[in-house]
Amino acid sequence: MFNNFLEIQNTTFVASKLNKVLDFNLTIKNEGDIICLLGPSGIGKTTILRSIAGLQKIPKGVISLKGKVLSSEKEHIEPENRNIALSFQDNSLFPHYTILENINFGAKRNRDAKYNFNVNELIKVLHLEGLEEKYPHQVSAGEAQRVSLARSLMSNPDLLLLDEPFSNIDESLKVELQQNIKKILKEKKITTIIVTHDSYEAFYMADYCGILLSQTMKQYDTPYNIHHYPNSIEVVNFLNRGILVDAKVLNDNSVEHKCLGIIKGNFVNKYKKGTAVKLLVQPEDLEHDDKSDLKLEVIDKKFRGTNFIYSLKTDNDDIIPVFVHSHHIHQHEVEEKFGVKTPIYIDHLVCF
Amino acid sequence: MIKNINYWYISSLLVSLLVALPILTVFASFFGTTSEYYELLRNTFLFNYIVNSTIILLGVLLLTFIFGVLSAYFVSFYNFPGVNFFKWALILSFAVPAYIYAYSLTAFFENFGSLFALLKWIFGDGDYNKYIPKFDGMMGAIISMSFSLFGYVYVLTRASFYHQSHNLIEVSKNLGFSAKESFFKIILPSARPAIVAGLSLVAMECLADFGTVSFFNVSTLTTGIYNSWLSYDDLNTANQLSFILLLIIFCLFFTENFSRGGAKYHQPSRGFKRIPKINLQLKKSIFPITFCSFLFFFSFIFPTSQMAYWTFKFPKYFQDISLWSLNLNTLILVFISSLVLIIFSFLINYGNRISKSKFLNYLSLFSISGYAIPGIILAVAFLTFFSWLSDFLVLNLGFGSIKKFFIGSILGLVLAYFIRFYSLAFNGIKSNYLKINQSIDESSYLLGYTKFRTFRKIHLPYLKNSILLIGILIAIEIIKELPITLILRPFNFDTFSTKAYAYASQDLLEAAALPSLFLIFWAGLLIFITSKYILSEK
Repeated sequence: MFNNFLEIQNTTFVASKLNKVLDFNLTIKNEGDIICLLGPSGIGKTTILRSIAGLQKIPKGVISLKGKVLSSEKEHIEPENRNIALSFQDNSLFPHYTILENINFGAKRNRDAKYNFNVNELIKVLHLEGLEEKYPHQVSAGEAQRVSLARSLMSNPDLLLLDEPFSNIDESLKVELQQNIKKILKEKKITTIIVTHDSYEAFYMADYCGILLSQTMKQYDTPYNIHHYPNSIEVVNFLNRGILVDAKVLNDNSVEHKCLGIIKGNFVNKYKKGTAVKLLVQPEDLEHDDKSDLKLEVIDKKFRGTNFIYSLKTDNDDIIPVFVHSHHIHQHEVEEKFGVKTPIYIDHLVCF
Repeated sequence: MIKNINYWYISSLLVSLLVALPILTVFASFFGTTSEYYELLRNTFLFNYIVNSTIILLGVLLLTFIFGVLSAYFVSFYNFPGVNFFKWALILSFAVPAYIYAYSLTAFFENFGSLFALLKWIFGDGDYNKYIPKFDGMMGAIISMSFSLFGYVYVLTRASFYHQSHNLIEVSKNLGFSAKESFFKIILPSARPAIVAGLSLVAMECLADFGTVSFFNVSTLTTGIYNSWLSYDDLNTANQLSFILLLIIFCLFFTENFSRGGAKYHQPSRGFKRIPKINLQLKKSIFPITFCSFLFFFSFIFPTSQMAYWTFKFPKYFQDISLWSLNLNTLILVFISSLVLIIFSFLINYGNRISKSKFLNYLSLFSISGYAIPGIILAVAFLTFFSWLSDFLVLNLGFGSIKKFFIGSILGLVLAYFIRFYSLAFNGIKSNYLKINQSIDESSYLLGYTKFRTFRKIHLPYLKNSILLIGILIAIEIIKELPITLILRPFNFDTFSTKAYAYASQDLLEAAALPSLFLIFWAGLLIFITSKYILSEK
């Protein structure tokens, strides 16, 4: 009945009286996949992890791992008998043991040593050198988070659950850690579910992403598809990687915008000619061209290191974001006019 | 799972019932018959008792407020020579119970007492007795209790000052307040919950006091209770007097709990940093030094040296008093009681933690009320209940009398201590248990540890130190305890406190000196060991 590695069917998760996740479905087909659950704070992401780990019961649905039912309305296997590791967002280290002892606490489980970590190797990869003899209150929040991760990894879990694993970690270290951890997880084929509200992190780490919005999973797909083919207005708004503008379908490969003119591309969904739609415009869709006749007013400009994001205002008051490489010869200031290359071509036209 | 919960429920319920015994007994006695003595008492002395208790209470509150708050203010905000010494030396006052203070006070000022001897030694023979002030009666009781109880106000106020007012003092300076203004307008109000909590504790101890007022022959509610039991053998009257006293005490108990709740909001936030104290120039530091020295001297040095002086002046009591058995008796009581108390509070706390039941939580809240019940009431109620139970069993079920197991036995004594000090042990373990985040338990389960192994590997090692600490605090309380031990002890079984009391009530103060000195020594030693803790939280 349950052939997939992890299966969650029609499950309700109860975070609090007001906050529930309803009818949740999630399937992880292959061992070693990394899944990211993405959603705003307080939506119940942590509750999902806690329920999978067995710390909370579920009122409805089924959770099964490797063909064995862990939780259902009637059954509930205690967390200590599940072999699922959860690395908490807040500090959950044992305060009276050193960092090294804390990490080694995980090693004692080793029920079927599917893979074996060397403590020293793990300490090195997670940059915990020199902390071994310290106590949890003597390390920073970010370090504690990494220790907790190391402890979880040491326990050889069938399924690893990470709750905002990089939330307290410096930006510079974060990128390196993400790389290291992804490498370890992939090498050792550790199936992992990561909860986060950082879409960049999710897109980098995950094989599949789930977007949780208003009590339900809105979209579950690969990161590429989530970015380029969001399936609803809510997902577009949540990811905040572009804006929706009013447009009219002209034929089966173009739409018309009042100010931007004709936009060509391939429709993701078919629409009848003349339908009024909302078109997704992302910063990478438009190109800057000083010689263009289409000039828009700059109302804001954000420096992002490798590029600028200009916010441009159209005559009908749409605000459109555009990427420009930061080495571009001359800069445009706020209130100046900014040329956009015409005709506009967007590879896939996402409309709602 | 269900079995587990039942088990926790039963143990919680048992403890709560046991602790509730004295209260229930006192209430039940309201419907019992009393002898004519009660009528007599109500018409004549009762008003007097209440007035005396009130006067003493007000006097003690005023003095402890001044002593406690001022000393806490000085050591918290200023640097002056000896400040670090005074900081912990002032808590040594906890080692001297008020009744022993009363003995020293009398020994020093009485006719031909130590002061007389001192004057004679300096100035030669003379009729000094009429010039020496006499501190006895109500005055003596107020002074004795104030010096031995001000520590509560000192410790709580200091903790509150320590945690919060340092930035307040800077803010108030910034707003242009003078030192005096900022003390009255900002610092004092900010510590109000702590001060009220401290004063409520003082008030409870003061109303519960038996040894001091009985020594000075002041008729208060506690001595009234004791006399109706001892002289008139009328337990119902004793319990009805207890009822009046309990009503007052419970008001104070709730004030204290309420104030503590308020004080919680003043706990430091994450970025808490200590701001250096203000250095006082020599001239300005004269007053703080004098004040702290005065307090330290009169609260600790004075009673201790008086007792030491008499101990060595009358060495014959070394032979009369079996020191060895006094030490042993105290040790036995401390050991058994601490063990039982700690095991039970651990069990109940753990049950509350893993079952997460609200009902259990309320039940355990109820069971800590034993702390508020004065020892004398507890002892009398305990007597009443077990006499009644024994008679009931004999009459209805044909049992032999079970009185002897509970009254005048170590078992009874330990049970009574259990009721009295359960909240100390329970709250001590609870507050440390709360420091272990729930997610730590969960992490442990997720790493494959069962509930029992989590308890053994995580909880027990973590709480090791606090268990030891609680054991010591219980020991201090038991060593100083007088009325319960006095009433419920086995025949010819003495502790330092009962021995000292027995001699003092026979007007043999010089004999009371030796057990008193030992009491101060042991209590002082244990306070010294735990001073770091007492000064940090409590």
